[in-house]
Amino acid sequence: MTVLRTRGVTVRFGGLVAVENVHFAVEPRQIYAVIGPNGAGKTTLFNAVTGIYAPSEGVVELNGREQVDPLTKLMVLRFVVAFVSIGIGTAIAVNIETLWTATIVDHYTFAQPFPWALAIGEFWSTLWNMPRTDSLIPLVLGGAVGCAAAFVSWWRGRRAPDHIARSGVARTFQNIRLFNELSLVQNVLVGMDHRMRAGFLSALFRLPRFFSERRKFHAEAGQLLEFVGLGSRADNAAGSLPYGLRRRLEIARALAGKPTMILLDEPAAGMNPSEVVDLMALIRRVRDAGTTVVLIEHHMRLVMGVSDRILVLQYGKQIAEGTPAEIRSNPKCVEAYLGSEDHG
Amino acid sequence: MLDLDVFLQQLITGLSNGMIIALIAIGYTMVYGIIELINFAHGDVFMLGAFLALTLVGALGIEAWGPSGQVAGVAVLLVGSALFCGSLNWSLDRCAYRSLRKSSKLSLLVSAIGCSFICMNLGLFWGGVPMEVFAGGNAAAAPKDFPALIPQVNLLGDGFLRITPADLLVWAVTIPLMIGLTIMVKRTRLGRAMRAVAQDPVAASLMGIPVDRVIGATFFIGGALGGFASVVYSLYNNTIGFQMGTRAGMDAFTAAVLGGIGSLPGAVLGGLTIGCVRAMSDQYLELRWTNTIVFCILVLILIFRPNGLLGATRREKV
Amino acid sequence: MRWRPGPIFIILALATCIPLLDQILPVELQLSEAVRGVFLYAILALGLNVVTGYAGLLNLGIAAFMAIGAYTFGILTCEIYPFQLGFWSALGLTIPIGALAGFILGAPTLGLRGDYLAIVTLGFGEIVQDVLKNLDVVTKGTQGINPLPAPTFGGHEWTADDEYKWYYLLLALLVVTVIAIRNLERSRLGRAWFSIREDEIASRSMGIRVERIKMIAFATAAAIAAMAGGLSASILSSTGEPSNYDFQISILALCIVIVGGIGSIAGVLVGALVMVGLNSIVLVKATAWMAAHGIGSQGNVLLSPNNWKFLIFGLALVLAVRLKPSGLVPPRIERAPQ
Repeated sequence: MTVLRTRGVTVRFGGLVAVENVHFAVEPRQIYAVIGPNGAGKTTLFNAVTGIYAPSEGVVELNGREQVDPLTKLMVLRFVVAFVSIGIGTAIAVNIETLWTATIVDHYTFAQPFPWALAIGEFWSTLWNMPRTDSLIPLVLGGAVGCAAAFVSWWRGRRAPDHIARSGVARTFQNIRLFNELSLVQNVLVGMDHRMRAGFLSALFRLPRFFSERRKFHAEAGQLLEFVGLGSRADNAAGSLPYGLRRRLEIARALAGKPTMILLDEPAAGMNPSEVVDLMALIRRVRDAGTTVVLIEHHMRLVMGVSDRILVLQYGKQIAEGTPAEIRSNPKCVEAYLGSEDHG
Repeated sequence: MLDLDVFLQQLITGLSNGMIIALIAIGYTMVYGIIELINFAHGDVFMLGAFLALTLVGALGIEAWGPSGQVAGVAVLLVGSALFCGSLNWSLDRCAYRSLRKSSKLSLLVSAIGCSFICMNLGLFWGGVPMEVFAGGNAAAAPKDFPALIPQVNLLGDGFLRITPADLLVWAVTIPLMIGLTIMVKRTRLGRAMRAVAQDPVAASLMGIPVDRVIGATFFIGGALGGFASVVYSLYNNTIGFQMGTRAGMDAFTAAVLGGIGSLPGAVLGGLTIGCVRAMSDQYLELRWTNTIVFCILVLILIFRPNGLLGATRREKV
Repeated sequence: MRWRPGPIFIILALATCIPLLDQILPVELQLSEAVRGVFLYAILALGLNVVTGYAGLLNLGIAAFMAIGAYTFGILTCEIYPFQLGFWSALGLTIPIGALAGFILGAPTLGLRGDYLAIVTLGFGEIVQDVLKNLDVVTKGTQGINPLPAPTFGGHEWTADDEYKWYYLLLALLVVTVIAIRNLERSRLGRAWFSIREDEIASRSMGIRVERIKMIAFATAAAIAAMAGGLSASILSSTGEPSNYDFQISILALCIVIVGGIGSIAGVLVGALVMVGLNSIVLVKATAWMAAHGIGSQGNVLLSPNNWKFLIFGLALVLAVRLKPSGLVPPRIERAPQ
């Protein structure tokens, strides 16, 4: 199954077209590179894939499913529940003084036990018998607002990055975004969070589940740090890492969620040649472990060295797609990337 | 059921109060537009402006200046309060916010809340100044009467509507200020610099714009508008107190958000809307629930249109 | 691993000795009564610390949740209403009701930018007072609900003379709160809070459900604040009037968190000692002393220590942020969530 497929993805910011009509497909266990001059729209494309920006047009498919959640019956049911509960809540809140008087004040005397059944019956009959303007208008208005709010929150969340990350797409950032005040292990554990199951109560009461899960994931985080070569610094703060190693930590954090696909945004930026060689080896190891890799990179030796296929963007448009050999021999790409070098 | 004259009367009151709210809201919106800070102290700067105006009234004896003299007196108050509030707001930026530009947003907000409390306490002390206008300073915390320098007579004679000189004053002060401000932001060098800093402070400073000075100027202008608003408010409502800043600040901020924070026409639109909603709620619903209704409006806007009626979408760079 | 007593443990251990000190010292200091207030505000500030310190969301309406807790406790226990629960069940109920109130406010607003949340919570703080005042059929308006019961142990109710029992009850509840919050802090949840505070977009891209995690922080804080409200109502045997839960209380809690050390439990405890010490020990004693010596009984505003409260809170915030941004007892990085 194709891991990632875009069909005619376009992203506009106001009048500016950052990405225009891009089609490409990434197969499982490929290393796929996106290249292009600065400002070609590579990062914007990544952001559209991971849900940070919504594509203005076109479709992104992840593992054969559309990136956007369809409106399910369960969701519609949720809107109905929101309408009913918030509507009734509003109607009660607006008339609370009348209702309280009718149910509590009118029936309560210090001497006798309180007639609960009578009071509850009185509550509903008061609500039912009051002027329709007092009960029905708040009910409908409040319900409509609640229903609309539930819809808006669903609409905004249906392409949310968290949702996409949970479906197995992890990423790193061009301008590294680590949690600097947390330790390396903690950073990796954040990436594992959506695989954990122990909830609020097991943390609060330290139930056995909490401990078993903590043991399991701590061990795994340690292994992952070893895998990227940071095992000896596991308890340092992420902010104290040298620049080159931060990218490795970001990769470890992205791998922590056991993604089917990992998007690397300029992983070699600012690295010296020997670090780049190490990085190439790491990327291959990630792929060999079963994860599809999509990367944005300017470092041509790395791109040509590791990629299975390459997509070339220029001014937001796709100008070529193919194997490294095809790209190397494509005159349009050579011109776009190397400028007028060939023409003297 | 719905009497037209009552409705129109409330509309006039609502629009006048709305213009005052809008003037304060512009102070919030300008500062937020440029450094993304909710300047909590702004409402209290406004409150101190009103206290200064009352002090000037007492010290200069403006009440005894006669009808035409009183108009001149109002002009003095406007200029005095505007300069004072502008400088005060500028100094808050200089002392409490400038050094925090690089720290987290949370620290900046906390600092602004701190400033708000300091200003509020200064207002309390100010109310205790032993002057006649402050009732001898005996009950410092109590609300103070502000003399009606602008007579509250009906200009329309015995007509069914009531428009007072105070209404006219509100409009005569606020509308030119808003037009002037819009021209300034659109046309002048300072305005251009302000817009540049709002877009990208780093790039602006690389282009040679003195970012700190531009931000300082923004604070001064925002504060000065608050100063104008304070005098107009006092003359329109005739009572001031050291806690009025919080309430006015809440309304003005709601107005700024409603219109779209960072947008000047938005602040005006928001101010007028909030003013009218308050007036209508006072009349047709219940006075005691007005604040609750305004708050519900704030929450509703934030849910459905977090960028406000006229605001632009802000994108975080990734 | 060898167990070392941390600062939190030391502070709490020292606190157990204070009533003893009261009995030994020859002067009438009534320290334990004053320190009770410190405990109460420490509980409130620990709640605020969850939302502001851990999740990085500024909540300026924490007093409103305290009010909700107090009135819930009042309505559930007072003899003028039919519910008439006991101390413990009513106090237990303040927690879910506080959490529910937090949920109702948080659900529509937590998706917003952080600074908008500050103003919404500030507004909420004002509105809750208005609502409590206006619904006088239910809440008795400005009279407050009273009398309220004290805790019962083994069938008999405490009286006002049981000074030390109150002291140790509050201390015990504080300890329970500290343990609960520490358990949350050092779990997956605490880690998610920290990650959101540092970088919301990165957390989201790692699959953290930001709104949900923020909501849990918000509701936890509200629940703890509501419990503090119920406790304070029980101590006073009255909910007091709605304006007892005004913006000042929220700011006092914020001062405790900021001055003590944002995101640090030990910091909050120290902050509570410093700020509440200033607010309800130094200022109150100074007022009493001045009254006894006939200074500033009336007239001059400057001579009443109470009038300096806002200035002290304001300066504490401005100076703390400027000079000691991480507070008196900063959180320790290597002790961050396990």
